[in-house]
Amino acid sequence: MDAFVLLGSFVLLMVLGMPIAYALGLSALIGALWIDLPLDAVMIQLAAGVNKFSLLAIPFFVLAGAIMAEGGMAHRLVAFAGVMVGFVRGGLSLVNILASTFFGAISGSSVADTASVGTVLIPEMEKQGYPRAFATAVTVSGSVQAILIPPSHNAVIYSLAAGGTVSIAALFMAGVLPGLLMGLTLAALCLVIAKKKNYPKGQVVPLRQALKICVEALWGMMTMVIILGGILSGVFTANESASIAVVWAFCVTMFVYRDYKWGDLPRLVHRTVKTVTIVMILIGFAASFGYLMTLMQIPLKVTTFFTSLSDNRYVILMLINVMLLLLGTLMDMAPLILILTPILLPVVKAMGVDPVHFGMIMMVNLGMGLITPPVGSVLFVGSAVAKLKIGVVARAMTPFFVALFVVLMMVTYVPWLSLWLPRLLGL
Amino acid sequence: MDTFYNRLMDRLYLASIWIAGTAIFFMSLIIPWGVFTRYVLGTGSQWPEPIAILLMMSFTFIGAAASYRAGAHIAVTMFTDLLPRWLHRSGEVLVHALMAVVCLFVVWYGSSLCIETMGQSIAELPWLPVGVTYAAIPIGSALTLLFVIEHLVYGSQAKRPAVHLDEPEPVPAVEGAR
Repeated sequence: MDAFVLLGSFVLLMVLGMPIAYALGLSALIGALWIDLPLDAVMIQLAAGVNKFSLLAIPFFVLAGAIMAEGGMAHRLVAFAGVMVGFVRGGLSLVNILASTFFGAISGSSVADTASVGTVLIPEMEKQGYPRAFATAVTVSGSVQAILIPPSHNAVIYSLAAGGTVSIAALFMAGVLPGLLMGLTLAALCLVIAKKKNYPKGQVVPLRQALKICVEALWGMMTMVIILGGILSGVFTANESASIAVVWAFCVTMFVYRDYKWGDLPRLVHRTVKTVTIVMILIGFAASFGYLMTLMQIPLKVTTFFTSLSDNRYVILMLINVMLLLLGTLMDMAPLILILTPILLPVVKAMGVDPVHFGMIMMVNLGMGLITPPVGSVLFVGSAVAKLKIGVVARAMTPFFVALFVVLMMVTYVPWLSLWLPRLLGL
Repeated sequence: MDTFYNRLMDRLYLASIWIAGTAIFFMSLIIPWGVFTRYVLGTGSQWPEPIAILLMMSFTFIGAAASYRAGAHIAVTMFTDLLPRWLHRSGEVLVHALMAVVCLFVVWYGSSLCIETMGQSIAELPWLPVGVTYAAIPIGSALTLLFVIEHLVYGSQAKRPAVHLDEPEPVPAVEGAR
């Protein structure tokens, strides 16, 4: 009954259209009143949820990515990808996928990826003879890579939701192979479609120009080197490397690329405030909600429920996949990570699944949710950039959904993909 | 609609964005400074961490108030969008009234948390009371409450010009978008 009151009031408030962060807060209050918990306890959890040093990495990663995305990084990455794969048949669709792989290495945001790569590449692809819906579908599905390829602020949120027991460095490294696998799978699909539909070939970029493009892009790609190098070598903590990445991104944008105006900076900060604070306050309210869930022993009850269904971990993982995919189509990524991790992690741990591996399963599932109707923020942004109806883009994405599902199955059932690299590095 | 209250809220909105923006600006400088003192000066300061947390609390709670006015918070509107217009409007009033409840709770209990912890000090910075770190919680919620009242009386303000200063193209002024 306790669980019903807490979860039921949350679902009801959410269906009513209340902002999810505040719906979590209010249902935590209702739950606390129901079990006669002093409301001060809810308040302390809310304050403690945000009063954490480890949280700092989230605004920093988002800000560094935003500076890079708006500061002319996108077209440099596109040009860089063009040098590498632009010359084959269907070259521009491969360039699109590869640019997203690179973009993922400087920002963990699929929305930012779609907005900036899409703005450059969708018109360009259309000009070269690709249908606009196909160009948008490639952009939108390629952007899911950004969630897996480090640095990913969603991995930081997962680490936090897991109670800080899963290392951020391990999660970052775990994302590398699944991210690359996703890129390769999507690229292979693009090649097949390009061959079938006879999409145009690109041209080989002359060596001198290619070198110039590579050097320009490398300035930005250094962000990833700073972040991963710093964390893996133990020179910086995750927070420190993220903050240094902000300073680096700023310096490269303002002093090396110089196509961002100083006068535009307040607008960038304004936008960052709006995108980051909504996640931060969500973390705060989710902390008090999570506290109530623990008091009511909801994770334990859910674990018992799942283990009563089957003791085969492959079956349980499939059930969890279906659930995550369905919820992902309705809700955004950050709230789902924050709400579901404390509930599902004990279930999969009881089944012997590594928490780092489960993090990757969650990222792929929820990342797919971002591009799936009815509610998919990345799909919405992609359609808006292309000025196409959401339904049109979603239809063009059908083969890409199939490809991503194949990747999801591989990430779910081949733990090696997620765990090999972190283990190799002793994380 | 553009009443005195709306204009006052415009000011508060921009002030919140500025406070949050300044906070994230200094946060991004303080932490690298800590690294600099550790590796280059070899001294290693104690203050960057608690100050960065203080700034992050201000950034979060005051910035989230502004995000509320801008309609930026994540919400599921799929079901309410299906409702007939009048029911949709009543649902909206209910949701924002409930928002007011949450804000009142945080203002009240947040203030008492601040007062209770004013006597405790942070280990790294003995002159900084813990209560100061928490001050942004009730302040931010009080701001949100003011924006909630505005929403309840005048409807959504998410399309006001002040809220859209960050958009690349100027949005034409909208009459109190009810």
